[in-house]
Amino acid sequence: MLRRRLLCASALVACLSAPATAQTTVDLWHVFNIETDMIHQAIKDYNASQDEYRIEPRVLPFVQLQTELIKAVATGDVPDLITVDNPVLVSLAAQGALEDLTDLVSESENIDPEVYVEGPWRSNVWRDQIYGVPRDANTIGVYYNKDMFREAGLDPESPPATWDELRDAAQTLAGDGVNGIAFSAIMSEEGPFQWLPFLYQAGGSLDNINSPEAVEALQFWVDLVESGSASPDVVNMRQYEAANTFMAGNAAMAISGPWELPRIEQEADFDWSLALLPVKADKNIRASALGGYNWAIPAGAENVDGAFEFIEFMSRQDVLQNGWDTGRLPPRTDITVPDPRWPEAFATFNEQLQTAIPRGPHPRWPEISKALQIAIQEALTGRKSAQDALDSAAATINPILQETPL
Amino acid sequence: MQTRRDAAILWLFLILPVGYMVAFVGYPVVYNLVMSVQDVTLGNLATWDRPFVGLGNYVELIANERFRLVVRNSVIFVTVNVVLQIAFGLAIALYFENRFPGARYMRGLFLAAWMLPPLVIGALWKWMYAADYGLINYVLESIGLSDGPIYWLSNPDIVLAAVIAANIWFGTPFIMLLLSAGIANIPRELYEAASLDGAGAIQRFRFVTLPMLKATLLAVACLATVYTMRAFDLIWALSQGGPIDASNVLPLYSYQLSFEQFRFGGGSAVATFSFVVVFIVALLYVRTIRHEKAM
Repeated sequence: MLRRRLLCASALVACLSAPATAQTTVDLWHVFNIETDMIHQAIKDYNASQDEYRIEPRVLPFVQLQTELIKAVATGDVPDLITVDNPVLVSLAAQGALEDLTDLVSESENIDPEVYVEGPWRSNVWRDQIYGVPRDANTIGVYYNKDMFREAGLDPESPPATWDELRDAAQTLAGDGVNGIAFSAIMSEEGPFQWLPFLYQAGGSLDNINSPEAVEALQFWVDLVESGSASPDVVNMRQYEAANTFMAGNAAMAISGPWELPRIEQEADFDWSLALLPVKADKNIRASALGGYNWAIPAGAENVDGAFEFIEFMSRQDVLQNGWDTGRLPPRTDITVPDPRWPEAFATFNEQLQTAIPRGPHPRWPEISKALQIAIQEALTGRKSAQDALDSAAATINPILQETPL
Repeated sequence: MQTRRDAAILWLFLILPVGYMVAFVGYPVVYNLVMSVQDVTLGNLATWDRPFVGLGNYVELIANERFRLVVRNSVIFVTVNVVLQIAFGLAIALYFENRFPGARYMRGLFLAAWMLPPLVIGALWKWMYAADYGLINYVLESIGLSDGPIYWLSNPDIVLAAVIAANIWFGTPFIMLLLSAGIANIPRELYEAASLDGAGAIQRFRFVTLPMLKATLLAVACLATVYTMRAFDLIWALSQGGPIDASNVLPLYSYQLSFEQFRFGGGSAVATFSFVVVFIVALLYVRTIRHEKAM
């Protein structure tokens, strides 16, 4: 109010001509600091399109949003709307930190669970109640350097399609100062995000994490490192750092997602392309990781209605179609992206999304994830065999899943 | 009349700092202590009405091998940092006491490292430590000290040393500055007298500098301990405490429990451990300062 008065004093004329009705401010916290993300234009458009609500965005770094949200919950002064990394949403919901949106969704004309891709939608549902709405989806594939393929005598038009081919190609491509492949096995959510697809491709599952299939999947990563095809530094590499080594020409292949496309287009000064994640030949199971952000409303938010109206706005065709400009796939099946940038990558990632498996949803996902991170790192650093590492992980994960199954 | 007003002013001056301490130091400490004996979730975080679990969080922590590893790391991290930061800081401070041309200017430059944000320093060292294209391996390999890349940040046996080295580089300039101030306070006559008595450089250091610096050294050691106990950003940027917690320390572990895994009770219990250590060191520091004043 005081700010408004000060503004009036400094720009009396403008104020006099402004509408007299007071707008309700909807505080939105999000993590999209790239200027071209669809959210920025959409906020402007939404604010201009009506005068009941005004979206006030606050951009936070990815790792800080959760911290800031927890602080806000502790002080009881929460924002009206947030973006949540999808594996965490159910943890927040199960602890009572999010508003139940089930009724609002059932009354909504625009948001119909039927039209959403299953994985992203499912990451919002806890005990049959809906706590969020998908904003975007992503998954991972294998970026590869076609020039390096040619130099190594590999066919750049037929990238590795199976585990064996990937292993052999990585071995062939690895050389002086160049890694065959880069991926992220870091001690954070990013490690399991990248490894779990291999678990599913091997026919393994989370509720039997020390099965022979799971051990094979972990051993596959261990072999990539031990054979010198991948750097031991993968245990300390974030996904963007894996992409960095690829763009700098220090890795011939890199596992990463579509969010890197704007950067790769700008910085990779070589001929590159994108392949689906490989399959394990004897199993032939396609699987990938599901990432992305959901909209959620913190419990106790002042303007639930305004926040939900903005969620509906952000779920429209004319907004969601712009997500791909920064490598965000639409989470709905009824959205068409006219004339997509990077058309090949768009097709590949969309195909990959069909087999993307969500992490969880589980209220104690962060603890499950941590146990996986530790197992991956123990095996990759040679501290434990893949079997022993996964036995330890099972000792943590099994009791959690017995208490609350996936 | 006069004395009553004096008394009122005295009370005011007493109440202001005490009130400040209670509000901004006492409250968080008590809040943390309470949380450490409760079962805290996001759902009950905003209220005080949370299930009491007694020492459950502590018992669970002590039984956890990861916590024991983190405690071990913290002890090594703090001890090595304090000892080496003071050793290097003292050496550099004495070096600049030689008052050669440009000495003051150079000493100022040393502080640049300390003025950078720890996150920037972490990112910088992470590049230098990169195994395949980092500066450190390049130098070591070019001068023939190693014949293959050393995985500074991904080998669990090495990572703690790598993180400690980066933190020493970060912390030493400040220690050097504090010790320089201490050295400047030593009366020159003592050195002149010692020289006249035939003391060499080593003897002057041993029998003049060290005894005169004793109180300063102790105070600086306390400060350095408290500073390194809090180390967070630099490790976060360098290794996130990994691989497999091999470079994890108490504050980072506490943060991960509370803010990444929503185990607020456990996170608070870890913070209590840190607090007790820091509190003891702080008491020691206060005692040293008082002792120094008395001299």
